[in-house]
Amino acid sequence: MSKHDTSSQGCPFAGLDRRRFLQGLGAAGAGIAAAGLSGGALASQPARAAEVADAPTSATTGQAYPWHGAHQQGITTPRPAVGMLVAFDVLARDRAGLEQLLRILSERIDFLTRGGSYEQRDPRYPPVDSGILGPTIDPDGLTITLSVGASLFDERFGLAEVKPRHLERMTAFPNDALDAARCHGDISLQFCANSEGTTIHALRDIIKNTPGLLMVRWKQEGSVPVMAPRPDGQTESARNFLGFRDGTANPPADDRTLMQQLVWVGRNNAEPAWAHNGSYQAVRLIRNFVERWDRTPLQEQEAIFGRRRDSGSPMHGGVEHDLPQYAGDPDGSVTPLDSHIRLANPRTHGSERNLILRRPFNYSNGVEANGQLDMGLLFIAYQADLQAGFITVQQRLDGEPLEEYIKPVGGGYFFTLPGVQAGDFLGGGMLAAADAIREA
Amino acid sequence: MLISRRVLLAAALSLGALQAQAAVAPQALVAPITDYKLYVLDNLEQFTEHTRAFTEAVKAGDLARAQALYAPSRVYYERIEPIAELFADLDASIDAREDDYEHGVQDPTFTGFHRLEYGLFHERSTDGMDVYAERLMSDVNDLEQRVQGLTFPPEAVVGGAAALMEEVAATKVSGEEDRYSHTDLWDFQGNLDGSKKIFELVKPLVEQDDPAFVARIESNFAALDDTLANYHLSQGDASKGFQTYDKVSERDRRALVGPVTVLAEELSTLRGMLGLD
Repeated sequence: MSKHDTSSQGCPFAGLDRRRFLQGLGAAGAGIAAAGLSGGALASQPARAAEVADAPTSATTGQAYPWHGAHQQGITTPRPAVGMLVAFDVLARDRAGLEQLLRILSERIDFLTRGGSYEQRDPRYPPVDSGILGPTIDPDGLTITLSVGASLFDERFGLAEVKPRHLERMTAFPNDALDAARCHGDISLQFCANSEGTTIHALRDIIKNTPGLLMVRWKQEGSVPVMAPRPDGQTESARNFLGFRDGTANPPADDRTLMQQLVWVGRNNAEPAWAHNGSYQAVRLIRNFVERWDRTPLQEQEAIFGRRRDSGSPMHGGVEHDLPQYAGDPDGSVTPLDSHIRLANPRTHGSERNLILRRPFNYSNGVEANGQLDMGLLFIAYQADLQAGFITVQQRLDGEPLEEYIKPVGGGYFFTLPGVQAGDFLGGGMLAAADAIREA
Repeated sequence: MLISRRVLLAAALSLGALQAQAAVAPQALVAPITDYKLYVLDNLEQFTEHTRAFTEAVKAGDLARAQALYAPSRVYYERIEPIAELFADLDASIDAREDDYEHGVQDPTFTGFHRLEYGLFHERSTDGMDVYAERLMSDVNDLEQRVQGLTFPPEAVVGGAAALMEEVAATKVSGEEDRYSHTDLWDFQGNLDGSKKIFELVKPLVEQDDPAFVARIESNFAALDDTLANYHLSQGDASKGFQTYDKVSERDRRALVGPVTVLAEELSTLRGMLGLD
């Protein structure tokens, strides 16, 4: 073994002057070498070579979204690489307990999404924090979005009178095989961040701070594949585990007028006033039969989705964001009438009010008893009107050819609470509205 | 007899074991630890007696009697688990569950109460169970001997209050502890009583500094007792036993989880409050 090899044991660039080579590659190359998310740190800190167990680095840990605002974060906020949906049963027994819970959640979300240091405690006590991100945490693009299920409006908390109009317990669609252990919940928390450590840390913080108030009912983690930025600055929708782009037809989240119509509950929705600026959250755990899918001819896959797989373009070609043309294709000879995208969004007069804002993640859980992979889509969608949105779209999809390859097994319907202003807490308006009715 | 035992134990307890940088004076813990050792020895005595009756019923092939004695025998063990667990080998051979073995119930090293539970409640037979009964009895005798000679580490005793609630949170609430006999509530009450005992013994040491802490603990213990009381076989008398866990309503399961989690969280600070390392 040469002297040079000894100094670079385990390094793929053995035999080269490692540092110079990495500098020559630039940030991207260094990122690859460090197995990092974005790289750069290695080349600028030459004092110590990267070791196998070094933490991968990221340039986006400082990213933070403001906590106060008309709407909660995590809805029109760009979807990061990692997501997790956790449904809880509320253990608090009365209105006071629920308010305590909502205040604690608000305070924790405020802290976790801003970042900062934890209190250091006498080491003879359990530490205040799990420590998995170190003593000081970075926001890392974290958003935590609190939504409430129909069951929260039962007799326990005196909220029955203020339930959002369309909020109901999810019922099975024809292709569903719902697993009771992965359905519904009094509340849901959607965690999104740039890395998994951040979402898990946030969940553990919240569990630690809400004993006796919350019990996890089910949880599903997911992610989307991270891509290198394109040289032309264009962006593309991430792909699902069937290899197709997902979310291409999303209404643009920066179009405030459109979001006001489609996503945020407002005056036109005949909802309780407290619910304005909230949104309906539809969550579905949709298992994908990926082995079978991978054994399906590409042209059949494309006919089932109604898009080209690799480009994401409509069946008639072009690029991903070109609009599918159905006017000249009434028989579906180009885009089959029962293809997924044509059923979901037929682009007919009036169907624009059924548009939903999709925010899905891919999940991968393990292996089924038959040796097939348990993976699929953690589907999350937001809309101002659950009936006109997800439920209508799903009813149009019932019986679609894609059903051969997918099986919805869990999820639930929730109402995402409006945002908070300084001094307020999530759900404050909802409790106040119920109090006002009781006192009247 | 109890008094002389207590004097002996107090004298035998070396202050060296209590050399923690204590928030309370180390001497203050001598009496509670002594009392606790008495509690453990009393329970062990009863445990041995009940286990003898239980294992003899198994060996005699009296299925109904063996089934009836299963849960009442275990209660004593569940109360003193923090001490029993100091002897990991015996804890495994007495109280391991089939999940602890790769080959589950078929694993040849799987012994103890839960192996017998499988035979008595799942296979409904005492056939082939005498070997497990013999082994259990000898393990329990061994445990009693070993505990008698043990100097109780204060941090294990005080930490035991929280450890018992962790037991409940991990395996009792889900009904997986006694999955064939469904006698989980007996064990639940045993863990709860054991935790309460420890807390009561050290309560005078923390009451003055943090009365709110004591109140939170006591109200959550009381909440658990109240919910468990819904399932007494004989109203108001836990010693007569409990209905099977499958009878517990979803609502009551949730009503149990809340206080259990609060107690696990609150009691996890007890060692710190007493300045134990």
